[in-house]
This record gives sequence, C-alpha cells and structure tokens, in this order.
Amino acid sequence: MILSKIFTSFTFRFLVSYVAWLSVAVFLVLALIYAFIAYDFFAEVHHSVKSELSDLSEAYESGGEAAVDEFVKIHSGPDRLIRFFYFVGDENLNKIAGNLDEWPDSEEYRDGWLGFSFESLTNVPDSIGTEFVARSRQLAGGEHVLVARHYADVLNSTKLVGGALTRSMVATILLGTIGGAIVAALTLRRVEHINVTLRRIMTGDLSERIETHSSSGDFLRLSESVNQMLDRIEALMTGVRQVSDNIAHDLRTPLTRLRNKLSDLHDNCEDTTNREQLEQLIDEADGLLGTFSALLRIAQVETGHRRSGFAEVDLCTLVSDVIELYEPLAAEKEQSFHTGLAKVGSFYGDRNLLFQAVANLVDNAIKYTPEGGRVQVNLAVESGVVRIEVADSGIGVPEEDRERVFQRFFRVEHSRSRHPGNGLGLSLVQAVVRLHDGYIELKDNNPGLRMILRFPRGS
Amino acid sequence: MRVLLIEDDASVAEYIVKGLRESGYQVEHAADGKTGLVKATTEQYDALIVDRMLPHVDGLTIIQTLRASNDTTPALILSALGEVDDRVKGLKAGGDDYLVKPFAFAELLARIEVILRRQEAGSAVTRLKVADLEMDLLAHKVTRAGQPFNLQPREYKLLEYLMRHAGQVVTRTMLLENVWDYHFDPQTNVIDVHISRLRQKIDKGFDKPLLNTVRGAGYMLDDSQ
Repeated sequence: MILSKIFTSFTFRFLVSYVAWLSVAVFLVLALIYAFIAYDFFAEVHHSVKSELSDLSEAYESGGEAAVDEFVKIHSGPDRLIRFFYFVGDENLNKIAGNLDEWPDSEEYRDGWLGFSFESLTNVPDSIGTEFVARSRQLAGGEHVLVARHYADVLNSTKLVGGALTRSMVATILLGTIGGAIVAALTLRRVEHINVTLRRIMTGDLSERIETHSSSGDFLRLSESVNQMLDRIEALMTGVRQVSDNIAHDLRTPLTRLRNKLSDLHDNCEDTTNREQLEQLIDEADGLLGTFSALLRIAQVETGHRRSGFAEVDLCTLVSDVIELYEPLAAEKEQSFHTGLAKVGSFYGDRNLLFQAVANLVDNAIKYTPEGGRVQVNLAVESGVVRIEVADSGIGVPEEDRERVFQRFFRVEHSRSRHPGNGLGLSLVQAVVRLHDGYIELKDNNPGLRMILRFPRGS
Repeated sequence: MRVLLIEDDASVAEYIVKGLRESGYQVEHAADGKTGLVKATTEQYDALIVDRMLPHVDGLTIIQTLRASNDTTPALILSALGEVDDRVKGLKAGGDDYLVKPFAFAELLARIEVILRRQEAGSAVTRLKVADLEMDLLAHKVTRAGQPFNLQPREYKLLEYLMRHAGQVVTRTMLLENVWDYHFDPQTNVIDVHISRLRQKIDKGFDKPLLNTVRGAGYMLDDSQ
C-alpha cells in the first residue's frame, strides 16, 4: 500500500525522471573520460613504438647487424616493463637481425600502422596473446626495419577503466533511485499527514488544524496557508450558521407569537363558526412553523457542528423501533407489513437523525401505498456496507423525477394534491444519509418504490 | 408555586407570564441574564424557565452557576436553536427539560408540570391508579374495574407514562421523547394511532372514557369528566 503510494507519488516520478536524465549526463561524461583515457593510452603506445623504431634504425645504420643485436639485447631484456619485438630485414624481407623470426603477416594497415597477431614466437617462452601493434620503415639502403609492441596490457587497462565507468554508471542509477524512493517516502509522509488531516476536517470538525510545529520550509508555509484558508472557511460557515440561527430566532419567535395569539382567541371564542376558522388558522400557522423547522433542521444537519450527536447506535433496535412505531399506521390502512432485520453490530451515528431518516421513509411508504398494499423494511449487512431498504407497492416515483425528489419542496405532481406534506421529508433523509457518509438510491419495485440507504460500516 | 421566567423577548415573556398566571402560578420575570441570575440565587423558586440567548449572561451559564452552588431548582430551557446537540448541551448544563421555540403554550405548561412533579415524587411507586384503572408496576399487570387486559410492551410503557402524569396534559413530543426515547419530528400524527389503539383497550366498553385528546396540545388521562 505505502509502497504503491511511494511509486505513484509525484515526487518519486519526478526523481526517477531526474535520475534518468542524470544518468544520460553521467554516461556522456564517463564516455568522454573513457575516450580521453583510451586515446592517451594508444598515443603513448604509438609514441613508444615510434621512438623504438627510430632508435633501432639509428642503431642499424650506425653499427649494422651487431649493433642491432646489442640494441635488442638491451631493449627486450626481462627487466623491461613493456615487451618490444624488433626485426631488420633486407629488401625481400629476409631476416638480417632482430628477435622476430620473420616478417609478420599484417592484418590491417592504418595511418602507417600494422596490426597483426601470431600464436607463438620462437624466442618467447610463453604465449603472450595475439594483440600486437607494429610500425615499419624502409631505410635508405633498402632494408626494412620493424618494431612491434604487445599491447594487451593497454587493452586490459582500457577494459578496466571501461568496467569501472560502467559500474559507476549503475551505481549512480541505483543510488539515485533508492535516494528518490527515500525522498519520495519522506515527502509522501508529510503530504499524507496533511491529506489525512484535511479529510478529517472535511468530514468532521472544521475547527481542527494541520499541526505546523513539526514541519519547516515549504511544508510549513503550505500548512500555514491551508490553515489560514480553513480559518476563513470556518468564519464563513459560522457566519452562515449565525444567519440561520438569527432567522430561527427572529422569524420563528414572531410566528410563535402569532400562533399563540390565535390560540388565545380560539380559547376565548364562543362562536362556533369563528372557532372553526380559528382552528384552521392555527393549523395553517402550525404547518408554516413545521415547514420552517424542517428547513432549519436540514440546514443544521448540512452545515452545523455535524457529528457532535454521534455515538454507538444499535441499528437493529433503531429500525425495529421505527417499525413498531409505524406498524399501527400500516395496519390502519390494512397494508401488510414485512420486515427482515439482520444483526448489524456496532454502528457509529446520530440515533435521533437516523431514526428520523428511516421514519420518513417508512412514513412515505405507508402514505403513498394504497389500502391493502404491501410495505417491506429490510436491514442487512453486505461486505461491510449496511443497507436499509424500504419498499412499497404504492404509486412509485416516475423515472424522470427520481433525481429531483431530494430537492427541497419538490413533490411528485400527482401527490401534490392528494397527499399532505411539505416536500422536505426526503431532503432531510438525504442530508442525514450524507452526514453518515452513506448514499441513497431509488429503484422500481414493480409496482411501487424501493428506497435503499447504504452506509459504510466505519462511519 | 413560584416560577421565575428569564426571557428577553418582551412579547414572549408577557405571553408566558399571562398564561402561567391564568393556570394558577406566581410568576416573576427577569428581562436579562444578570437580573435573572441575581433573582435565582437570592430568592427561592419552585421552577425556572430560562431562555438560552440572553443579554449579559446566557441561559446555560445561569443554570451552570446555580448547579455549581448545589441549587437543584428544576429548570426548563427555552431556545430557538432546535439542533439536537444544543438540546444535549442544554441538558448537560443541568437543565431538566428543553423546549424549542416556537412552542404552543400547552406544551410549555405540560412540561413545567412534569418537572415540578418530578421534584415531588421522590418515593418509589409500585401501583398507579386513575379512577378504576390500576397498574401494578411490579407484576406488570393492568386492570380496569378489576378486569385485566393484555398490553403490548410499548402500550404498557405509554399507559404508564400517561398514568404517572394523570391529570396533566401530555404532548405528542413528550410521548415520543419519553415513551419511544427518540427526539424526532414525525411527518404524520403517528402517535394518534397508538393512542387510539390504547384507547380501544382501556376505554372500550366503559361508560367513562379516561384517555382524552386535548385539542392543539396532546392527551390527558384523567377521570374528571
């Protein structure tokens, strides 16, 4: 989990591409170093062969065969680090002097250089490999002079240098990648810390802040900015909250006064017709106040200090309490009431709000199902998801209205006239479901409606 | 019965004072938190009605201060904030009941009577009796005129609550809170159905109905009619 997060993190990817480019650069530098070293090696080889050749020519021209033998004796002695081979031949390349038996077959000729190989040399005790480089010259007398140098050591040295450079290259890539992973992990941990805190703030208490004392530099500045933003959001939210509280205080209080005065009038009224009219007015006022309370309640569930009422809830008891409360209502309409309740175990939520949500669904199901219909309430747990389902055999909700039933004051056209209600019941259900991180789904029950609430177990 | 009302809205205060006086209470009124707190601490009252939002000292602070000095005078909190957690905060601060504005006066009166009674009835009761309706709390048996009848557990709880508050108006919200133990807002009057079921059992076949509906307020179990 954490590994996959590291590998997918921006920092890691950034560092990987950085390491890739760095490797290219390192490769170029190392290749250049290799080229220089190899060039120097070969230049040295060529130089030494050239100087040996001119020395040999001089020796032959000044002292002939004997001088060459003396020269060879000195120059190819066992105390010498580099082995040279010498050959002096006549015009037809027959041996005059030197420590080579015959003129070697040249394999290539490049810039005045001969390269050749031979298996063994008569006067060399052991096989010394096949890589030789040689240079020859024709003297004024028509003789050919040749100096050859075994250069496997040079090849070996360049190979060693090449190997070392390749290994440094691999080490650069490896260390870079490991370093990248470590830096990514460290950055990721900080970013994750901020993320976790932010998620907690989004779902819960807005007053929480990202702690800043353990970070410094960029992260400190980021955390401080986010915290300042949260301060601002909290101030705005509090403002909204205060406005709605003030509406509650300022509008509902006079409404209460109105309702109470009507009730006073009603109590002191002797005339039956007037009494009836007053009763209707009181009912109207109560309806208005009810709508107002419902609106405020939704707003409070959506924006208030949302999770303060949360505690361990026994959903099974809660749903059976709803059923127990509403079952007589269904019985009155001669509806058959069916239940299937599974044990849910611990669930964290606001029991009053959850009760309200389930009650609203059951209330709707009974209200919109004709007499003799069927209402079904199920509670189940499926792979960590708690599912509460309320199904009925009523009029249902047309496909095109299913998204809109959660809007405030929306009522399905045909129910507007026939059934009482304020069009806020499902809005409240949705607010409650969202508060519990759940979601709500409307399905066709053929005939009727199936409302499904799903909650993650951990909420 | 002396009641202290601490409420800053003059009109609401006037209305409550008038209503309570008509119901036979002696009422004193304080218009802000400071005067209210001074009155509550220096004089003896049987009950307090305290608004939450008050100038100078807010309602919860008044109740907390009183409770901190071991003053157990029953207190009813009035508030325009209808949130559940505000309710919990109010009750945690030491309030005995919480009533959200707007309320019908009958609701306030019913609740005041309940918190006053709660204070009186300290001793454990084992039998409840209203006219010829009797409830044996130990044996979980209910009889009317010696005739026993079966009640569902919830019906029993409902009847027990009504009998404990016989002669008092009990509102629908009070029943939901105390019998069902949920604080919520039913869309339809589902309580009425439960009451009529209970009425079927205890009043059917008897001349005098005991369980009466009080229009615009709630229900009352009594034998006065």
